[in-house]
Amino acid sequence: MNQTSGRTLVDSRGSSCPGPITDLAIAYRRSKVGDVIELWATDPGVKADVNAWAAKTGNEIVSVDEAGGKITVIIRITKR
Amino acid sequence: MKRTLIVGGGSGGTILANSLDRHEFEITMLSSSFGHLFQPALLYVAFSHARARFVRDERSLLARHVNLLHDEVTSINLKNKTVATKSGVLFPYDYLVVATGMHTDTSQIPGLSETNAEFGDYHSSLAKAERLSYHLDGFRGGTIAIGQSSPIIKCPPSPLEGVLLTDQLLRKRGLREISRLIYFTPYPRPYSAEPMNEVVEPLLEERGIEVMTFFDVERIDPANKTIFSIEGDKIEYDLPIIIPPFVGANITYEPSDAVDEDHFVIADKSTLRIKGAEDAFVVGDASNLPTSKAGVGAHLQAKVVAQLLSGHPATFDGRTSCPFDTGDGRGTFVIGSYDAPVIKARPTRIKHLMKTAFQRIYWISLRGTLNPVFDVYFKLTAPKKAAAASD
Ligand SMILES: Cc1cc2nc3c(=O)[nH]c(=O)nc-3n(C[C@H](O)[C@H](O)[C@H](O)COP(=O)(O)OP(=O)(O)OC[C@H]3O[C@@H](n4cnc5c(N)ncnc54)[C@H](O)[C@@H]3O)c2cc1C
Repeated sequence: MNQTSGRTLVDSRGSSCPGPITDLAIAYRRSKVGDVIELWATDPGVKADVNAWAAKTGNEIVSVDEAGGKITVIIRITKR
Repeated sequence: MKRTLIVGGGSGGTILANSLDRHEFEITMLSSSFGHLFQPALLYVAFSHARARFVRDERSLLARHVNLLHDEVTSINLKNKTVATKSGVLFPYDYLVVATGMHTDTSQIPGLSETNAEFGDYHSSLAKAERLSYHLDGFRGGTIAIGQSSPIIKCPPSPLEGVLLTDQLLRKRGLREISRLIYFTPYPRPYSAEPMNEVVEPLLEERGIEVMTFFDVERIDPANKTIFSIEGDKIEYDLPIIIPPFVGANITYEPSDAVDEDHFVIADKSTLRIKGAEDAFVVGDASNLPTSKAGVGAHLQAKVVAQLLSGHPATFDGRTSCPFDTGDGRGTFVIGSYDAPVIKARPTRIKHLMKTAFQRIYWISLRGTLNPVFDVYFKLTAPKKAAAASD
């Protein structure tokens, strides 16, 4: 995990167990309102998980992109 | 002779020390504890009164040529290639292997230290597991809330093992009808990896275990017996079984960016080389590798590092194979690797027997003599790789 002034890069590529949602949960725990989390993953299950996570926690998914098997999700922390 | 320093005498450090050729390496192990605990037993101490010799003298587990010293490492300088200890000794090294594991830290969550001191847990120590066992014995019905309080955990199936064994215990004692069992987890589903969850979720339903997902513990109010989550939910309990957060060893590194915020050592996930160092490696729970924290991983990583130190090419593929006791004499394994998603494996009696058998062979496995048997097992149970993804 790489943090620079409110923007955290979470590289979860190649992690399937416990997986990207674990890394997101760790980043969320360390975040504050206004922070942006950029999550990289290869596990396709990440899209549904992040949607469910955002719905539950009330945080905002800014974008979800997929290219060459790499999924990039940008999340803005609006609630903590 | 290559002066090799191993820090930590747990599963990973012990296997590594025993795997190095004594004609090639001068091995010193620095460990803060001489009592080597078979950690998976904590589950059975807490939930089924297991009492056996779960702690052995580390000296008795090491090959005779390994120089074992009882000292706590306080700082590691990767640039000067030295390690300093609490007793004030400075050790230079040619090769360093960090195998300091991880430990629970109740201070991260308000209210957890008091709760943990009273009720214990099954991940910290034998004494804490016995404390939990005592409270389970005294339980006469009500609500038991059980789960992990943060995402990083030793042996990912262990929270579910705890809830399934609690259910079994309550049924046996005729208390299940008058008890609520609530399982909480920071994940979107009971088991984080979907294929395994397909096995677990129906089991929990069948046993009437309530599940609260996306429940990341923020604080505990011991006076009102309530657990609150970051996501805004709460659980009221009579008996709390809360697995504390974990952190890496409290060692200062130079350069300081060799560890993350929680003191986990940052390393290359294939070669296990510590960030920025050519001659320093990490094995086991001490690292921040994207794989499960389990003895199996520590074992496989120790084998990779032993090969690399001896000049043979080797890489770690993230392989896991965590035994999972689902109660009622059945069990399964969580199997996956960096590029092979976790497979769906149904619980059987045979797999449970394999877990029980491992308790007997653990001490011998530390010697490395059973490696050929494990090699066959890992080959036979290898998960299928997913399609490769590019950057
Ligand atoms: C309830 C439970 C169930 C489990 N079940 C399983 C299972 O079924 N299968 C499985 O594979 N794994 C299981 N595990 C996990 C397994 O026990 C650990 O992953 C494994 O022990 C990790 O090995 P390690 O060598 O990395 O660390 P450890 O075995 O924890 O050893 C760390 C060593 O480092 C030493 N140390 C720490 N700090 C310092 C310092 N500063 N200076 C010097 N020495 C230091 C410690 O004293 C210790 O000797 C379970 C764990 C628990 C708690």
